[in-house]
Amino acid sequence: MDNDNEEFLKRLRETFRVESGEHVRAMSAGLIELEKTTDPKKQVDIVETMFREAHSLKGAARSVDRPDIESLCQALEGQFATLKRQEAALTPALLDLLHQTVDGIARLTSYAEKGQTKITQQQTGELENPMPRAGVESPFPQADTVRIPTTKLAPLLLQAEEMISAKMAAGQRVRELQEIDRILSLWKAESEKWKDRRSSGLEWDEWLERNGERMTALQSQVVATTKAALQDQRAFRRMVDDHLEAMKELLMLPVGSLVEVLPKLARDLSRAQGKELELTIQGAEIKIDKRILEELKDPLIHLVRNCVDHGIKKPEDRAREGKPPCGTIRLSFVVKDNRQMGISVSDDGSGVDIDKVRVAAAKLGLPQANAEKYSGPEETLQLIFHSGISTSPIITDISGRGLGLAIVREKVEKLGGTVSVTSEKSAGTTFRLLLPMTLATFRGVLVRVRSRVFVLPAINVEHVLRARAADIKTIENRETIQSGGQILAMARLGDILELPVRENGFEAKKTSGETAASYMPVVILTFAEKRMAFLVDEVLQEQDVLVKGLGGQLKRVRNIAGATILGTGKVVPVLNVQDLMKSAVSSTAGARKAAVTGTTPARTGRILVAEDSITARTLLKNILETAGYQVATAVDGVDAFTQLRSNEFDLVVSDVDMPQMNGFELTTRIRADKKFVELPVVLVTALESREDKERGIEAGANAYIIKSSFDQSNLLEVIRRFL
Amino acid sequence: MKQDQITQNNGAILKARARALAKEEDQALAPRSFIEITEFSLAAETYGIESSFVREVYQLRDFTPLPGVPSFVLGIVNVRGQILSVVDLKKIFNLPAKGLGELNKVIILDNGRMEFGILADAVLGTRPVALDAIQASPVTVTGIGAEYLKGITGERVVILDAKKILDDEKIIVNERVSGSE
Repeated sequence: MDNDNEEFLKRLRETFRVESGEHVRAMSAGLIELEKTTDPKKQVDIVETMFREAHSLKGAARSVDRPDIESLCQALEGQFATLKRQEAALTPALLDLLHQTVDGIARLTSYAEKGQTKITQQQTGELENPMPRAGVESPFPQADTVRIPTTKLAPLLLQAEEMISAKMAAGQRVRELQEIDRILSLWKAESEKWKDRRSSGLEWDEWLERNGERMTALQSQVVATTKAALQDQRAFRRMVDDHLEAMKELLMLPVGSLVEVLPKLARDLSRAQGKELELTIQGAEIKIDKRILEELKDPLIHLVRNCVDHGIKKPEDRAREGKPPCGTIRLSFVVKDNRQMGISVSDDGSGVDIDKVRVAAAKLGLPQANAEKYSGPEETLQLIFHSGISTSPIITDISGRGLGLAIVREKVEKLGGTVSVTSEKSAGTTFRLLLPMTLATFRGVLVRVRSRVFVLPAINVEHVLRARAADIKTIENRETIQSGGQILAMARLGDILELPVRENGFEAKKTSGETAASYMPVVILTFAEKRMAFLVDEVLQEQDVLVKGLGGQLKRVRNIAGATILGTGKVVPVLNVQDLMKSAVSSTAGARKAAVTGTTPARTGRILVAEDSITARTLLKNILETAGYQVATAVDGVDAFTQLRSNEFDLVVSDVDMPQMNGFELTTRIRADKKFVELPVVLVTALESREDKERGIEAGANAYIIKSSFDQSNLLEVIRRFL
Repeated sequence: MKQDQITQNNGAILKARARALAKEEDQALAPRSFIEITEFSLAAETYGIESSFVREVYQLRDFTPLPGVPSFVLGIVNVRGQILSVVDLKKIFNLPAKGLGELNKVIILDNGRMEFGILADAVLGTRPVALDAIQASPVTVTGIGAEYLKGITGERVVILDAKKILDDEKIIVNERVSGSE
C-alpha cells in the first residue's frame, strides 16, 4: 500500500513538473509581452492571463504539497491583482522583480523534492538569485513528451490495423510458394524413376504429355503468385508510406514551442551587459519536425547570443550612430517551396568588422586570411563560421572563443541545411538558415571498394566524376584531382579504410587504378565546406537507406557511422565522411607510395631510441610502439652503439645532446662502420640552428627533426619514409 | 510358512536397500548447485558459457567485416533486422583460426545492457554443470583471456565468465580518428 502511494506521489510530482513548466513559460512570455506593449488595454489582458496562470500554479503546488511554490505564487498573484486594479505602475524595476520571481518558481519546480525552502523564506521583494544563471540551460528540463490530438491518433490506428492484411497476405504468399515447392518435389521424385528406364513407346509419350500439363499448371500458379505478390508490394508500399507520413506528421511541432525561451534569454543577456533590446518573432506557427526543432535549439541560442554580444551596442553607443537606444533582433521563419524552412536572425547592430575577421583568420594560419586570394568581403565574412575565429578581443566565459558559430554551422549541416551571413557596417548582420522541414529519409550512394560495398551519405556526395589516370597529379607526393576549377586532394578509399588488397585468399577484383586507359570513378565529398576527392572502384547506385547502430559493443568505429541492411538482407557499413577526411589528412595512405604497394600500414621494424632524458625516452618509446614498431632504448651514444653491434635494428632515433657520446658523434660512428652504412638515423633535437642541421647532415643523419615542431605524426611520417 | 520367510527376506533386503539409499543421500546432503551451460567448440577445445546469458544461437550465414576494428571483431551480422557485432574469442585466446563453414554458429550474449555475439566453430548443446565441479584454471593460463575464464571442469571444458565478458570495458570499441581536421 505504502509502495503504491509512493509510486502515485512520484507520478503526481512528475505531472506537476510538466504542468508547472507550462505555467512558468506562459508567465515568462507574458512578462516579455507586457514589457513591449504600450497599449493599456492590451496590458490589462496580459496581466489578467498571468494572474490566472499564477492562480492555477498555486492550486497545483498545493496539491503536491509544495508550500514553497505556493507562497511564491500567492505573492505573484497579489502583485498581478494590484496591477489589474491599476493600483501600481508598471515600472521596469517591478518587471525585473516579476521576472526574477518567475525564474525562482521555475528553479523550485525543477526540484522534484521540496527542501529548497530557503528561497521562500525571503519575501518576493528580496528574492535573490541563489545560483548564477545557468546561461543556455532552460531552468526546467522539458519532459520528452508530445501532445497528440486524438483526431490524429484515430487514422493512425486505422493504418496500423490495415497492416494486419499485409501480415495475412504474406502468409498466403508463403503457402502458395510452399504448394509450388511441393509439386516440384513430387515431380522431381517421379522424374528420378524415369531416369533409368528405357523409353518404351506409349508409356513414355504419356509421361511427356503429363509433364507438359504439369508445366502449364505450374506456370499458371507461378504467374498468379507473382501477380499477387506484385499487388501486395503496391499495397504495402502505399501502406508503409502513408503510415510513415502520418507518423512524421505527429512529430511536427510549431516553431513557437522552441523559440518561446528566446525573448527571455535575449532580455536577460542584454540586461546583464547594460544593453537594451527587443526580440521579435515572425512565423512562430510554422510546423516543423520535432527532431529538427530540438537540434535547432542550440544554434538559435548561439545566434541570438552572438547578436547580443557582438551586434547590439550599448544605448549610448547606438545614440552616437543615430539609432534608437533599444536594439532589435528579428527572428523570422518562412516556408520555402513547401519542403524547406528559411530562418533569418537579424540585428540592427554594428555589423561584422571584416578586418578583424581577417586578422583572426591570419592568427589561426588559415590560407583564406590571404587577402589577395579571398579579396571578396563575402568570402571573408563566411570565415566567422570557422572554429576558433572570434572578433572579440578577450575570451570570456560566454564568448570570445569563436566556437558558437562553428557549432551553429556543424549542427545545421548535420540536419542537411545551410547557413550564411550577410553584414553591413553599422547597419546590422543577418544570419540565414535553410533547413529541411522533415528529417529526410537518409539517402545513400552505394560504392564498391575492392571487394566490399559501402554506403556514402548522399548529402555529402557533391558529385561523381570519371577520371583518367592522367587527370590525377601528385603534389608533394599526394594525389590531387581537378574538379570545378579547384584542385582537390584525392585519397583512395581502400587505403583510407585500410582494406586488404587480397581477401579470403582471392585477389580482389582488379582496382580500376591499375589500367591506365580506363576511367576511374571519383566521388567528391563535402563536409563543413571542405571538399575532397575519393577514388573508389565502382559507384553502384543511390537509394534510401535506414541507418542503424553497430550494437553496444561497437560504440564508435573510426570512419564508420553505422550500418544499413539492403533489400537482400546484406549488411553494409555506412561511412562517416568527417572521419574519412580526417583520416585522409592524417594518414600517409594518401601518399602515392602506400597506394602502389597497397600494403596495410601494419608497421614492422626494430628501432633503437637513444635519449638521455627518461621522460623523452619513454615518450618516444610509447609513440613508436603504439605505431607498431619494436623499440629498444639506450641512455646515451655509447650505450646505443654497443646495442647496435649486438642486436639488429632497422632504424635509429637519437637525441643530439647526450652525455659521453652525443648524437653527431653517434651518427659519425654509425656511418664509419661498414655494417651500418645503410642504417637510417633520425636526429631529434631541441636545438634549432642551421649549423647544427648542417652538422647533422655532415655526420650522415637521414633526418633532423626539431623538437619544437616535433609532434608524433611528423616523427612517424619521417620514419615511415625509411622503413 | 515359506511364504512368510520370503516376505521376511524380502523385508530384510528392502531394509538394507533403504539404508543404502539413505546413506547415499547422507553423502549428498549438501544440495549441489548447478549452472546450465551452452557448450561449443573453438579450434580443438571445448568451451562452455552460462546459458542464462545466451539470448539465442544463430546460424552464421553471412557477415560483413568492418575496416578499422580490432582483430577480435569478426564483423557485423543481421539478426532479423537487428545489427549485432560478432566477437571472435579465438583471437583473444590465441587459438588457431579455422575457415568459416556450415557449422559456425554465433552465440548471442545478452545481459540487458550489452549484447553481442561470439563466434563458435560448432555448438555442442546445453547441459548442467555442478558448480563444485568447476576448478580454478591452471596457473599457466594467463593473459587477457584468463580474466574471462570461470574455471575448467574435469572433462577439460573451459567455462567462460559471461558476466565478465559482457561487462568488460576493454571489449568495447570506441575509437575516433585522431588528429586535427
